[in-house]
Amino acid sequence: MIQLIEYALNGALLGLLYALIAMGFVVIYRASKVFNFAQGELVVVGAFLVWFFTLDLGLPLYVGFALALIGAAIFGLIIEPLLFRRLVGQSTFSMVMVTIGLLILLRGLVLVIFGPSVRPFPDLISTAPITFGDITLNRGLAYGGIFTILLAIGVSLYFSRTRPGLRMTVVAEDHQIAQSMGISVRRSIAYAWGMGMVLSTLGAVFYLNGKSVTFLVAEIGFAALPVALLAGLESVGGLIPAGIIVGVAQGLAAGYIDPVVGGSFSAVFPYLVMVIILFLRPSGLFGWRIVERV
Amino acid sequence: MVAGPGARPGGALTEGASGSAPSTESSGGPGGSPLLELSNVEVTYSGVILVLKGINIIVPERGCVALLGPNGAGKSTTLKAVSGVLKTEEGLVSAGQVRFAGERIDTLAAERTVRRGILHVMEGRKVLEHMTVEQNLVAGGHLQRSRDAKESLELTYEYFPRLADLRGRTSGYLSGGEQQMLVIGRALMARPKLMMIDEPSLGLAPLMVEEIFSILHRLRQEDLALVIVEQNTAAALALADYGYVLDNGRIVLDGTAESLRSNEDIREFYLGLGATGERKSFRDIKHYRRRKRWLG
Ligand SMILES: Nc1ncnc2c1ncn2[C@@H]1O[C@H](COP(=O)(O)OP(=O)(O)OP(=O)(O)O)[C@@H](O)[C@H]1O
Ligand SMILES: [Mg+2]
Repeated sequence: MIQLIEYALNGALLGLLYALIAMGFVVIYRASKVFNFAQGELVVVGAFLVWFFTLDLGLPLYVGFALALIGAAIFGLIIEPLLFRRLVGQSTFSMVMVTIGLLILLRGLVLVIFGPSVRPFPDLISTAPITFGDITLNRGLAYGGIFTILLAIGVSLYFSRTRPGLRMTVVAEDHQIAQSMGISVRRSIAYAWGMGMVLSTLGAVFYLNGKSVTFLVAEIGFAALPVALLAGLESVGGLIPAGIIVGVAQGLAAGYIDPVVGGSFSAVFPYLVMVIILFLRPSGLFGWRIVERV
Repeated sequence: MVAGPGARPGGALTEGASGSAPSTESSGGPGGSPLLELSNVEVTYSGVILVLKGINIIVPERGCVALLGPNGAGKSTTLKAVSGVLKTEEGLVSAGQVRFAGERIDTLAAERTVRRGILHVMEGRKVLEHMTVEQNLVAGGHLQRSRDAKESLELTYEYFPRLADLRGRTSGYLSGGEQQMLVIGRALMARPKLMMIDEPSLGLAPLMVEEIFSILHRLRQEDLALVIVEQNTAAALALADYGYVLDNGRIVLDGTAESLRSNEDIREFYLGLGATGERKSFRDIKHYRRRKRWLG
């Protein structure tokens, strides 16, 4: 019983990490309707920025971390003018192809600048696990999970209550309507990439606490995809339940199925959950359904 | 927005042009100092499809102009050329000029013309489907200072009490008439100098059409100019001071609303009204002969 709870809890925390990374994906998708295949690379770039400003430059941990977040935001903001501005009016397909180009480009840049070697990652949070009786939890992931829940609430309120957030929601609804209301679609998309980059960097911090960083960290981007799809691509709040569902399922699969089948079946489990749920509800659990009136 | 029943001083229009019979050569448009002026505007889509073939339209300050004409005449395109929405559809003002308050605006993007005070209520009731009524409106006032936006919201609810009752509803699920009110209200939130409304009555029941038009009549007391595109020509000409009839990308006729209302040929041909006022189908009318007579 204790074991079941531990598997489920650790799974939920991992799921919330996916949710945080998926949040970057969703913010970008909402504004641009672009399915960002480079999400994992954004996490890697964020991770290297943190490493660079803290361990490499030797700045105090939190100063370096703050600078890394600023650097991440700037990096995100220039993606739109650099890569997408000329594609205005082009098909979504060509924009998605650009994100694949971005993936290759960033991977190349990371390898050229930082090399393929493994780097230590700074611990912004203590690496000592949290224990409740017999249950042990990863402290980085636990703090990250709580942070992600609060952040999801904050970002949802931002999109629904504040003016700049509402502008971005209008852009998410329809680019032509947004323009006819005096909203700059391009600027909103640029902001979305900036936000997506900051969220990815935060994800890197919780994910890599106590670990090290290489370009392979990018795989977390694909692991987070089922959570984004399950939440419904437009829904920030929906990422929390979606993350928990996927994470718990994966945690339980790792605990009970993997030992039996003798492999890491749990790694494909999120995709399985995603396929089943999307089969039942194509717009995800909380996504924008096409409005149909009778 | 200074509402006030009957407080419309010197309704800029009509004095000069009233009584003049409609004619094909531009009669110089409505009088009054022009807020919006289209001169010899040509519009091309995708670089090859010429849709507007040189049109001249004047909208005076605080005036109300109706654009009429059959389907495909280029009415919506005219509005898009002014608001800049054209550019999101691969359209281009390929010749001529659009001037607003004396300045050229034909090269401006849609998001820029809004800042000048031009609000285009597009065809098809384009609500922000997944947002609530109130979010639609608040987003509409995003360029205002927040105190002004609050005031605008109250005024908008005063105009559309029905929207106030529905403020928490997801706008995609409103009825067609409610959605039409919402898009007009959303445009109003930006406190426009010029509001252009494309086919507000499309697909609405007569009672709802009446309700919408009575609100438009009230709007005329505000400090703004209106351009209205309508198939319901009787309602449009009752609202407007001046009308232009477009056909096939050209203005074939213009004149005061009064003169258009009473002109037999127009009633029969363009407005589809017989002498007794009942509607006729366009099919009943010998299109080419009649047009020739006008153009000749
Ligand atoms: N994006 C576009 N690309 C090419 N042609 C277009 C485009 N938009 C409109 N047209 C063409 O321009 C012409 C005028 O269209 P417009 O929508 O302005 O007509 P309208 O007078 O508003 O008609 P309706 O009363 O049916 O709304 C039509 O022949 C239409 O097919
Ligand atoms: Mg039209």
